[in-house]
Amino acid sequence: MRSPAGALAMAAVALLLGVLVVSQFRSRDVYSRTLQQETPESLARLIADLNDRDRQLRDEIFDLRLRLEQAQSAVAGGQGSIAEAQRQLAQLQVFSARSRVTGPGIAVRIDGAFDERALSDLVNELRNAGAEAIAVNDARVGPRSWFGPGSEGSLVVDGRAVRGPWAVSAIGATEVLHVAMTRTGGIVGQFELIYQRTRFSVTRETSLDLPAIAGP
Amino acid sequence: MQRTAVQKGLALVTPALVFGFLVATQWTTLARPDVAIRYIDPLSDTVTRLQGDQAALRQQLASIRGQLDQLQRASSTQSGAVGALQSQIDDLRVQAGLAEAHGDGVVITLDAARPTGSAAKEPFCFAPDLTDLVNAAWRGGASAIAINNERLVSSSSVYCVGGTIVVNGSITSAPFSISAVGPPASILAVLDDEAQLRDLKKRRDDRSVTLQFTRATTLSVPAYRGALAVRQATPR
Repeated sequence: MRSPAGALAMAAVALLLGVLVVSQFRSRDVYSRTLQQETPESLARLIADLNDRDRQLRDEIFDLRLRLEQAQSAVAGGQGSIAEAQRQLAQLQVFSARSRVTGPGIAVRIDGAFDERALSDLVNELRNAGAEAIAVNDARVGPRSWFGPGSEGSLVVDGRAVRGPWAVSAIGATEVLHVAMTRTGGIVGQFELIYQRTRFSVTRETSLDLPAIAGP
Repeated sequence: MQRTAVQKGLALVTPALVFGFLVATQWTTLARPDVAIRYIDPLSDTVTRLQGDQAALRQQLASIRGQLDQLQRASSTQSGAVGALQSQIDDLRVQAGLAEAHGDGVVITLDAARPTGSAAKEPFCFAPDLTDLVNAAWRGGASAIAINNERLVSSSSVYCVGGTIVVNGSITSAPFSISAVGPPASILAVLDDEAQLRDLKKRRDDRSVTLQFTRATTLSVPAYRGALAVRQATPR
């Protein structure tokens, strides 16, 4: 430290340290580095989406607290928690796609050329808009469903050929689903630009009836 | 005499530290318009805070689900009717992805190839690649899949906002690790099939992405931790 060389060495270490502190700070989380590279518009969209999702979680926590209280008093009253078991079963039957389901929603009709990646994008978009159950014609889409190309312009859902024209039905909050599909610049608008000879229509449905997923 | 040496040392060290800090900061914010920079920090802090809130809410949800489950199991030993429902519930939880999954499988890793020495690139959207890879893994017979530890279920969507990926409403980014539990040979057969993932494999050959498929034993995929949000649909 007394020699100039010592001071220089110290300075070099400090320089390195300065760089390291910042790099370390930036790599705290997998995503925080990416966030620093996003535009304000993207960050605002992420905030809106995270807010939505957090609200959904709060709603479910609220519901489950009520159900827990009800189940506790039922058990205390000697009735057992059969009502709660039935409620859970019904929810899981929908969520696993293992039973037929009914409810309101929308139908996206596709008449003309279409492909499996576009179908996968459409399903992804419907799920993102909160669809609770989806089917392509009479093939229910489940948690492990995959899409492929079929012969003569048909599509394959979980190994089964599904021929056009297609109706992709989704049960959920009708207006939310409808707006998500038809908004300006939304997925159906994009499809109309890409598949110019194909006709797309989105309709509100008061009651859809979707089959259970095929297979074991 | 000693004091001046320390002062001299400090006079070098302090600017060097500041300089080092500035170089690194500048590096990561290179080529950003001034107007944008002003909003980045408060906005990204909000994103990070909301993501933290989400983790806490998911934990609360898991805790209440656990309490309900416990209550129900206690009740199912007392009542035969509840017991019969409980075994159906347990089976469907596995089917739906609400239980952890273990077994052999394949791990897929995907990342942007980072050119050496260059500054931060434009954010790139990996969502279509991720959905293509997941589609191929389901096709190969996978029974459970997670992207960066986020389990995929019937309500899962994968999309990007800029270069940030949102899976099940939770944010993540490259590098990606997709864990697929299932028969490794048939999953790898689909992934390696020339007709599959053409675009992505071309970019791997051009070295703009790194993509690897690795056979794995004793793979573990977490349970889904989000909301079920079944409100409109009823089973028949």
